[in-house]
Amino acid sequence: MRNPWTRTGNYKTSYAQDTTIFATYSEQASLAVFLIGMLVLPRFLVRGDMQILDLILIYALAVLGLNIITGYAGLINIGHAAFMGVGAYTAALVAPHLPFWAVLPVSGLVAAAAGAVVGIPALRIKHLYLAIATLAFQLIFEWAVGHSPALEQGGAMAMPRGMVFFGYKIAFKNHHYFWYYVSFTVLVLMAFGFRNLLRTRFGRSLVAVRDNDRAADAMGMDPGKTKVFAFALGAFYAGVAGALYAYWSRAVVIEDYSLMISIKFLAMAIVGGLGTLVGSFLGPAFLELLDINMETFSYAIKEIYNPPGVDVGSAIRPLAFGLAIVLFLIFEPRGLANWWRLLRSYFRNWPFKY
Amino acid sequence: MKNKWTLWALAAVLVMGFATAEKVHIMWSGAITGPTSDAGKYYAQGIEDYCSWVNDTGYVSGIEFVCETRDDQYNNANTLRNFEEAVDRGDPVFLGYSTGGTLQLKPLVQEVGLPFIPASYHIGNIDPPDNDYIFLPIASYSEQVIAVLEYIAKVSPGAKVALAIHPSPFGRAPVKDAKKAAGELGIEIVEVQEMAKGLDYTATLKRFEKKGVQYIVYQNVAGPVANMIKDAGRLGLKIKHAGAHYAGGPDLLRLAGDAAEGFLWVTAYYMPHEQGAGAKFVKDLGAKYGRPADAIESVHYPSGMLAAAIAIEAIKEAKNAGKKINAENVYQALLKMNWQNKLAVGPVTYSKKDHVGVDKLRVLEARGGTFVPVTEPFSSALFRKVHYGE
Amino acid sequence: MSYFFQLLVSGIVVGSVYALAALGFVLIYKASRVINFAHGHFIAIGAFTAYALSTSLGLSVWIAAVLALAFTAIVGYFTERIFLKPLVGQPIISVIMVTIGLASVFGGLIHMTPYGSGNFSLPGFLPEGGVNFAGISVSYPQLLAVVFTGVFLAAFGWFFQRSTVGIAMRAVADDQMASMSLGVSVEKVFALAWAAAGITAAAAGLIVGAISGLNLEGLVGIGLKVFPVVILGGLDSIPGAVVGGIIIGILENMAAGYLDAYIPGGGTGDVFPFLVLLLVLWFKPHGLFGTEEIERV
Repeated sequence: MRNPWTRTGNYKTSYAQDTTIFATYSEQASLAVFLIGMLVLPRFLVRGDMQILDLILIYALAVLGLNIITGYAGLINIGHAAFMGVGAYTAALVAPHLPFWAVLPVSGLVAAAAGAVVGIPALRIKHLYLAIATLAFQLIFEWAVGHSPALEQGGAMAMPRGMVFFGYKIAFKNHHYFWYYVSFTVLVLMAFGFRNLLRTRFGRSLVAVRDNDRAADAMGMDPGKTKVFAFALGAFYAGVAGALYAYWSRAVVIEDYSLMISIKFLAMAIVGGLGTLVGSFLGPAFLELLDINMETFSYAIKEIYNPPGVDVGSAIRPLAFGLAIVLFLIFEPRGLANWWRLLRSYFRNWPFKY
Repeated sequence: MKNKWTLWALAAVLVMGFATAEKVHIMWSGAITGPTSDAGKYYAQGIEDYCSWVNDTGYVSGIEFVCETRDDQYNNANTLRNFEEAVDRGDPVFLGYSTGGTLQLKPLVQEVGLPFIPASYHIGNIDPPDNDYIFLPIASYSEQVIAVLEYIAKVSPGAKVALAIHPSPFGRAPVKDAKKAAGELGIEIVEVQEMAKGLDYTATLKRFEKKGVQYIVYQNVAGPVANMIKDAGRLGLKIKHAGAHYAGGPDLLRLAGDAAEGFLWVTAYYMPHEQGAGAKFVKDLGAKYGRPADAIESVHYPSGMLAAAIAIEAIKEAKNAGKKINAENVYQALLKMNWQNKLAVGPVTYSKKDHVGVDKLRVLEARGGTFVPVTEPFSSALFRKVHYGE
Repeated sequence: MSYFFQLLVSGIVVGSVYALAALGFVLIYKASRVINFAHGHFIAIGAFTAYALSTSLGLSVWIAAVLALAFTAIVGYFTERIFLKPLVGQPIISVIMVTIGLASVFGGLIHMTPYGSGNFSLPGFLPEGGVNFAGISVSYPQLLAVVFTGVFLAAFGWFFQRSTVGIAMRAVADDQMASMSLGVSVEKVFALAWAAAGITAAAAGLIVGAISGLNLEGLVGIGLKVFPVVILGGLDSIPGAVVGGIIIGILENMAAGYLDAYIPGGGTGDVFPFLVLLLVLWFKPHGLFGTEEIERV
């Protein structure tokens, strides 16, 4: 008899059972607990914590997109922040005319169009050469914004303020709470999309093209189209994240979408575990919290050791960021998602050993 | 008998409790690492040292200042986080840094009403909208560039000028006003050029020469400016160079050497070699807190001090008036401020309409390896005309 | 016409700095198929080591320079031993990311010295001014860049054609399995390539330092300029790095000289090489001299 609580074996009798994501009651229950937990979490946090949490959620959304491009399709993308920037600038331009729930998909679509254009070279080039093409896009994007008077040449474009949502006025005190719920809802929806992607024809061809595009070609998939579409879809995620970031930070400034941020996204994807859903949350959370803790730590260092002319404390932060990437790659290339998997498989079989 | 001792102990605790000064936090968020950290590092040290001096000398009685210099790595998300932390803690004033970070925070600063003193002298910081709570320590880049154009128009009427700017909002800030002012002054702005981060500026310089440019006015940081004037020297061009606050200074002299000779620089701070209370104060403070010579000579060091000093002065005013130290009272004190300070060439004055602290600027010229003032402190009349239409 | 020639000459000179920087980058790629995003930091390490030695120990700049080359070579060697060796056989993304991580680590370490932020200039070891010829002018540091590039190119040419180690390196680049079975120590070759790359990076750092002063951001920025250069020349071609470097240098100068006047704000020199890069990738995905990979299912 099949045990609905734990996975004791494969008792699937229908196709519908085989396609469920959360097969057992305990898995469904843990999902419900997680969702409810996230929804009530703000009750227990102060405003400052919410700000960090929002940033992690928004970055997680962008990293999901990067995981489609780089994780699923294997196309290294060093220009992801530029996609996010395209979304953010679109948001800044359309926000005065549209409600925020309409701004998000519009920003996503415009970024997706940009993604498709950047993906076009992928028809011909691959691997490292493609990575450098995305780097070129990042730099050209920054230059183009800097030369567009309509975009304040990279200066601040303020987002609408004093928004009222169903009679609920958003101001300093509740800004981060409001955008937490918006970001979280968007993230959950898009994470389900991400999770289901691999079960679609398109998702499977992504992985096939990553593993061997010639073989995929021989089997009737179109590697070129698949790659372009991967860029478009990944950029869509980044675009929505960009619009959320614009609202969250209250103004769009070019520095928020620079090469440094692109590199940060790659680091988050790697540390989290490339191509994994849970890694897309864990990576941003780990690196953002690491940075904040290192900052606190750096002030402690400053108290004890502060030689003239050198700022040892401040140097700790880039050092920790770099070491996190390097150590993960060497010792845990599958990222935090792998730890999560080990932890889960332990609890899945509990109380049995295996 | 036992009771008596308890009472004494209680009294002692109470006295100590009252003697402990009120703690006031002042936070600065800027780049100690990352882009522009060459300026940010010394700016932070200026803030720290001024703060230590205030605490050590008991300049504001009854208040102990806790000055935090936070490294935001030129990343606006970090700046935002630091700022909100300051708001949540109830800090009475906030010291900012970059142009991008300040412009991004403007709507929020307006919303929470926390006085904000940036290191970026971008005119957009104090232009509407959302400009009530932002205070520039010294005159804006636009006014600096116009001041130097006025000087150029005086020494060589009808001159042809090129603007060489940093490829960012910081660099682009004064362009519009400078163009208008040039029209009024009868000089011609031939070209506005964003300077690439190149190793060689021959192409740009040769083109300037072809167009008959006599002066290049820089709104940039010292590094690229030094390279461009070195190239100009090597090419044997007769072009003269001039620049706003962040373009010049001792950093430029160190980098460009003899090529910097004759560079016209506009700023509101004193030079370390000058005789006078301000320069001596900066040097003494640097020596007292063990700063290396590079820091003391850098213009960013007194700049940081002035920002901290304005904040502390406003807090002192509020304290003397017997008011609670909070954002609103410090804001009111700032609006009424008229402080005869020794750090800059003029008094720090603010009002409801005037959010520029030191209105006076000086033009200095590089002569024999130091910057020598060539004008008395003055404020640009033209700037008000072209920018505000007054 | 002299305007054009001045742009051309300056372009070639700047291009040779890029070529020098790109040389080390290509060496690493050729031997171990690693794209080194920390190359800019090697450049910075070389430059600051020379600066530190000459200012704090009072050594002559030339001796300091030689020591800096050696030190950066050691850094390169141990970087490979400690961080890259465990990743042999991992996917490209891991290898790219580890160098990105290393870039951040090096950045942090440099910030622990007094040189992390601020502008410095090497003590003048070259005379001021430059050579003027028929209205065209080149400064001494720039001239030195051309000489350095030439010397390194000749040295590497000899090294790869004549010396046993060099031939072993070429063999490894061609086919790792085959060279291993012939008794070539692939590990040693990898580490040597990194050490050699360290030397050229330090040389580039010295030149950049002499031309435009030392600033961490600026030196690291040169590492970014390397990308269009190596794509144009081909990632695994040493002559390609030199030709690519010079072409990018010329393009940059021509863009600044002719295009800037027509584009409000200008500053096309920074972005033009990357536009060229995209075009090159489209028409010649393996660059001008790179080896075309033949793929099989």
